[in-house]
Amino acid sequence: MASSSTSKYNSHSLENESIKRTSRDGVTRDLSEAIPRLPGETLITDKEVIYICPFNGPIKGRVYITNYRLYLRSLEMDMRNLRFALKQEGHSRRDMFEILTRYAFPLAHSLPLFAFLNEEKFNVDGWTVYNPVEEYRRQGLPNHHWRITFINKCYELCDTYPALLVVPYRASDDDLRRVATFRSRNRIPVLSWIHPENKTVIVRCSQPLVGMSGKRNKDDEKYLDIIRETNRQISKLTIYDARPSVNAVANKATGGGYESDDVYHNAELFFLDIHNIHVMRESLKKVKDIVYPNVEESHWLSSLESTHWLEHIKLVLTGAIQVADKVSSGKSSVLVHCSDGWDRTAQLTSLAMLMLDSFYRSIEGFEILVQKEWISFGHKFSSRIGHGDKNHTDADRSPIFLQFIDCVWQMSKQFPTAFEFNERFLIIILDHLYSCRFGTFLFNCESARERQQVTERTVSLWSLINSNKEKFKNPFYTKEINRVLYPVASMRHLELWVNYYIRWNPRIKQQQPNPVEQRYMELLALRDEYIKRLEELQLANSTKLSEPPTSPSSPSQMMPHVQTHF
Amino acid sequence: MEFSELIRTGRAQAQLLRGPEAPPLRGTLCVTGHHLLLSPGPQSTPDLWLLLLRSVDSIEKRVAGDSGTITLRCKDLRVLQLEIEGVEATLDIARSIEALSSLESVITSFPFFYRPKGLRLGDSWHFLPPERYYKRVARETDAWRLSEVNEDFGLCPSYPRAVIVPRAVDDDVLARSARFRQGGRFPVLSYSHAPSGTVLLRSSQPLTGPQKRRCAEDEELLRAVLAGARPGARGFILDTRSAQAAKQARMTGGGTEAKAAYPGWKRLHRPLERGRPLQESFVRLVEACGDPEQSMDRWLSRLEGCRWLAHVKEALSTACLAAQAMEREGACILVHGAEGTDSTLLVTSLAQLILDPMSRTIAGFQELIEREWIQAGHPFQLRCAHSAFSQARPKHEAPTFLLFLDCVWQLGRQFPLSLEFGEGLLLALFEHAYASPFGTFLCNSEKERCLCEVRTRTHSLWSGLNQPKEQRKLRNPLYVLNPLAIWPSVEPQSLRLWQGLFLRWTHPPEPAEVAWEKVWQIVTGREETEGSQPTASA
Repeated sequence: MASSSTSKYNSHSLENESIKRTSRDGVTRDLSEAIPRLPGETLITDKEVIYICPFNGPIKGRVYITNYRLYLRSLEMDMRNLRFALKQEGHSRRDMFEILTRYAFPLAHSLPLFAFLNEEKFNVDGWTVYNPVEEYRRQGLPNHHWRITFINKCYELCDTYPALLVVPYRASDDDLRRVATFRSRNRIPVLSWIHPENKTVIVRCSQPLVGMSGKRNKDDEKYLDIIRETNRQISKLTIYDARPSVNAVANKATGGGYESDDVYHNAELFFLDIHNIHVMRESLKKVKDIVYPNVEESHWLSSLESTHWLEHIKLVLTGAIQVADKVSSGKSSVLVHCSDGWDRTAQLTSLAMLMLDSFYRSIEGFEILVQKEWISFGHKFSSRIGHGDKNHTDADRSPIFLQFIDCVWQMSKQFPTAFEFNERFLIIILDHLYSCRFGTFLFNCESARERQQVTERTVSLWSLINSNKEKFKNPFYTKEINRVLYPVASMRHLELWVNYYIRWNPRIKQQQPNPVEQRYMELLALRDEYIKRLEELQLANSTKLSEPPTSPSSPSQMMPHVQTHF
Repeated sequence: MEFSELIRTGRAQAQLLRGPEAPPLRGTLCVTGHHLLLSPGPQSTPDLWLLLLRSVDSIEKRVAGDSGTITLRCKDLRVLQLEIEGVEATLDIARSIEALSSLESVITSFPFFYRPKGLRLGDSWHFLPPERYYKRVARETDAWRLSEVNEDFGLCPSYPRAVIVPRAVDDDVLARSARFRQGGRFPVLSYSHAPSGTVLLRSSQPLTGPQKRRCAEDEELLRAVLAGARPGARGFILDTRSAQAAKQARMTGGGTEAKAAYPGWKRLHRPLERGRPLQESFVRLVEACGDPEQSMDRWLSRLEGCRWLAHVKEALSTACLAAQAMEREGACILVHGAEGTDSTLLVTSLAQLILDPMSRTIAGFQELIEREWIQAGHPFQLRCAHSAFSQARPKHEAPTFLLFLDCVWQLGRQFPLSLEFGEGLLLALFEHAYASPFGTFLCNSEKERCLCEVRTRTHSLWSGLNQPKEQRKLRNPLYVLNPLAIWPSVEPQSLRLWQGLFLRWTHPPEPAEVAWEKVWQIVTGREETEGSQPTASA
């Protein structure tokens, strides 16, 4: 009774919840069937098992393996689904094990990924969300100084870049080809974002191929100068090298390096001390070790500290703040690179853009941001995640994109009214980063996706999300134009994303999520009504007055304020 | 006493620095009996900056050249800097603040002079929680009665005049039991949980002493409690000390209930930190939060080293244990530690918030604080004499009430819809407990408040807070009545540092109030727009 361990009482509060957990992701459940299935999902096998739940002990049930997932239907507690993510050893019967391996790692068994079998239909097409020409036009491009080039139409200049690139007007296609020879994997500096007023830009690329001998390339030097000159007021171009300086130096041994001051006179280089994919992978592994299956209790905070995960988050955010601050101040354009320019570089440019441009804080804007800075610019999703691949010790795997989403979550925590989307939106993106149900995150680059006809043969994750947007909306969102967000990247203000990393542990949860979400939905409805009403009033006013009245809480009047305490 | 004797210099020219967010303020500085005023002068804004001297926790002065700097660390954890022209003026002002901020006499304190517009003396003091609460209990069960045995505070100086006790025992039994309990704090009803037919009681430790004395009347009282509860109810005595500490207390005349003497009752020990160690934990935490030099990479282990969150966890889980035993096991609970005025109240009040939806409304929460803290004799004046900045060695200071507020904040974070009040009310209670123009938190007990005539000569905080203009700051716009018990998760992963309090004065990214205000706009927006008509007047 009461003398039993104090933690027992909160296990009870969860019973309701596990019973009520129905389809979380738009899967319609046909009750006549044994399990809910997606169109295109087929049952491979099923068996009575006992699931050794790390939290609640053994649970009797029947396991169903489909070509998409493993499903456990509990005989004791109604339904409860377990994804591949929860591998368990309780029923290692040989045939089951083999089937499971085969469908969990289809590529290793020459089977197609489920995304290619998925027959789901949605009323919106997520593949049309991102159109590069439209996005650049939104940014006011092309203009006098920047042009759109199709030089990479057939991915000949750079096979990991998108077909469409924005480059300085004064650089010819031949210039670009010569610069490409001096940049790792031909990833030349191209425009990511331009400031609508001061016209400073964020440019991304890979490291220069300086090498041990300190090679130079006149075309590269000239090209960087052209970028600087697209803005008259600027005397120096700022280069942010995402790596720690030691690593940048060490890269010379393998032919890489960085832009030194004595060669690039009009540039200033700073190192941002963000570690590489291997460090990040090991750090996340340590986080996993302290939260699953048992949650570290007695020294939680110091154990969390020893994973260094939040410290890495801090460094990534700090770097992005510096990029955003530089561009927003109009003092300098910024060039960002790491080694290959597809991991840390993508984190920095996309986070800086999120801070600078409120468009990316809407649901569609964020989808465009991910589609542009991550998917089209060749973040190696396939290698980093290892979709359908069984080699889980592959050194190419790393949670770089997850780390980016974590940074976004930290920002949304600090600015509860600035983002149109809610936490669920971020979590569903991460769930389908691994699920292989959609084609969105498959393959390493645009050229590979085109070869596989991903847009024709698979469904986009954005179709699922955009056909049911209400679920992913933040009721407190206030649309603000031109407000720059500077999150506080101090350890005091960062926290572990418990709702994501420890969401499977019932002891962490407090309450059935339903009432909160329901209340938020009510708020959303109220808000929409309020906004509509306000607009009507303004319209009525402006027809009577010559000048339109300012709304009572005119958000655009908010001044950007820098709070950079690192 | 004349305040003027303590004021060395009436005024000086000064500049006030209020941290990175607010712009500095320049003007004439004045020291009055209870306040520090800065008047910016006629040409600029007429805003008067005002600081209650009572809220100054520590003061540090430095002079250089012909000016000086005074650093004021306030009890609400704010740090202010005053740059004052003239060395003499600086030193005089510093001495005046020092003398006036540490006045011990209650009846010369500001609440006895505070006469705000729009409030009437005596308002809201009609809250008589034991009586009022008894009405609620009496509707549910007739096993309890309101006793005025303590009418003249003779039996127990720290109890209110009226207490709720088992109907089956008469006042003589209470008097005997009181003699057997430290400070006369015999077991009284704290909360009656009607759905399970069980009750929560509180008291102080029994004075068993080394000879293991017994008291037949005390035993009778607890027997009557079980007899009045649901049939077959058992009882648990929740001692907030470790078994060893409870045993040791015998040497100094205290002790704990012998098993044989109280059939049906079983003892549990859940040690909660109190007194000095708790105060030190608070001081270390505030130090860590305000340390600009802190190497940020060590923040988490330093936060852990402060142990504050561990105290939060212990308090919440002990309260959960008590609540669980009542709701799930149908058992009656008696909570006590040694004096029964600190961690005892922490546990009983938190258990009520978990179980009782009424106590989660604004009115119910105010009543809970009035009944379970103020009238129950938590010695506010002693515990809150100094906050975290004082250089003086703590004597009786302990942030027990702050710990309670922090636990409530954690509940509110985990159950965002279930509390009718928000962080604003908790922050206000923290501030007012340490320094206030209102009389509510004055003195250490009801007896002292009667002697000082607090009820008739000061304003009640509740009348101040319940004014319509304060509501937006205090209410939770998302509130919906939740009739169920709210069981918090007490895993360390579920508890957070209360940033709104501990990091309140150091660059909040987007203050919680902004989001709060936004929600209010949404919730009330419809009515507003409906009410207002498009206007064409210029």
